[in-house]
Amino acid sequence: MKSRTQQPKKRVFNVNRQNRILPAVFIVLSLLLMILPLESPVASAKALLSYIFIPQIRASHAVMEYAEGVSDTVKALLHTQRENVLLQEEMGRLRLENAQAQEIFAENKRLTAALNLPAPSIWRGVWAKTAYRDPTQWNSVVIDKGSLDGIHERAAVIALKNTEPVLAGMVLETDEHTAKVLLLRDEDFAAAVYALPSHEEGLLSGAGAGQMRMQYLPYLSEIKAGEKVYTSSSSSIFPAGILVGEIAEVEDENGLQTSLTARVEPEADASVTRELFVLTPQKAEVK
Amino acid sequence: MANAVKLFLLFIAATILHWGLMTVLGGAGVNLNMMLVFACAVCACLGPQYGYPTAFICGLFLDFFGIKLFGNHAFVFTLCACMMYGLDKRLDFDAPVPQMASILVLSLFSALFNAVLLHVFAGFSSWAGIGSWLGGAVCNALTAPFVFWTVRRTFKRER
Repeated sequence: MKSRTQQPKKRVFNVNRQNRILPAVFIVLSLLLMILPLESPVASAKALLSYIFIPQIRASHAVMEYAEGVSDTVKALLHTQRENVLLQEEMGRLRLENAQAQEIFAENKRLTAALNLPAPSIWRGVWAKTAYRDPTQWNSVVIDKGSLDGIHERAAVIALKNTEPVLAGMVLETDEHTAKVLLLRDEDFAAAVYALPSHEEGLLSGAGAGQMRMQYLPYLSEIKAGEKVYTSSSSSIFPAGILVGEIAEVEDENGLQTSLTARVEPEADASVTRELFVLTPQKAEVK
Repeated sequence: MANAVKLFLLFIAATILHWGLMTVLGGAGVNLNMMLVFACAVCACLGPQYGYPTAFICGLFLDFFGIKLFGNHAFVFTLCACMMYGLDKRLDFDAPVPQMASILVLSLFSALFNAVLLHVFAGFSSWAGIGSWLGGAVCNALTAPFVFWTVRRTFKRER
């Protein structure tokens, strides 16, 4: 019979052969996952893992929504009366504006038909909340809406700055209930844009944290710092006329360059924006 | 079998906690990593047959959110699990100070090594600044005693 004093204070796990093989297998497996291209084999592994992880992500998000909902409800209750008065005033003003807008809308429709112009499309989409953001992955965020909500890959993502819509990025991957959004600043992001008032067109691309570049501007263009940059109608992904940012500086490099490049300061900081609007396929045109 | 079920339930709880904290603190730039703390706690309380797979799966869970590279977190977490089992012979993980110290060091290592892997394999700079790096590691270290206690209570230190 063992006495109390003979018992070890702390049991240390004996490292046997199997326990050396186990980490080696996982290290090799993870190295393989890193080395293999992100397309076929890794995409299949991700699809398989989504069956395990997506329910957890949904559960996590539901818990957070509930927790946020409680505090928001309490806060809302405390401000209800004051908010109600303000909203009544706002409603009155909006009714008036709506009546004027309807009139302008009808006039626009009539003139569009008279000039035989293509009917402008209306933005349709869904509002989504930023559900997950990792500071080390500043180039992307995960939103809480997915393919079941009508979100598809390469859809434009818009944020609101004050009340103005500004371009935030585009959808890169979708699952049923979540989607990954590639933000403007990523180097893989690109969009056809134009600057106002110079009307110069160029290609906008991300250039790392907090920066974007507008490339292929005509060498003799008179584009200046301070001009606003909007999405161009020649873009296949983004609807025309969405504000992207402001020209911060036109790079004047010495050398045999044939075009100019401008540094663009983005309007949206989608990595901190809570709500995003994701455009869904345009089903209906203005009638 | 009972251990596997308990571990699975704890893993779900850890993912919820990680998601929740990142939703709140991610926007503030704090690089909190609850999955790393959880994986290390499992390594401190259970044998390698549970610790390594848990570390690997926790890493894959974080890789699931990445767009540039897949498998980097799984790789780093497996290395961290190796270090935890190496340290287990020298440190008493029942006390909070070794728990916090090990998590602090491993958080700094994992964030740095992860940034290196992303740079080497994807040519992507994920460096969010020294404040985020240190802040995240300190936050991880502060949560370590609670996570280790929860895991130990659940398994009653079975190793």
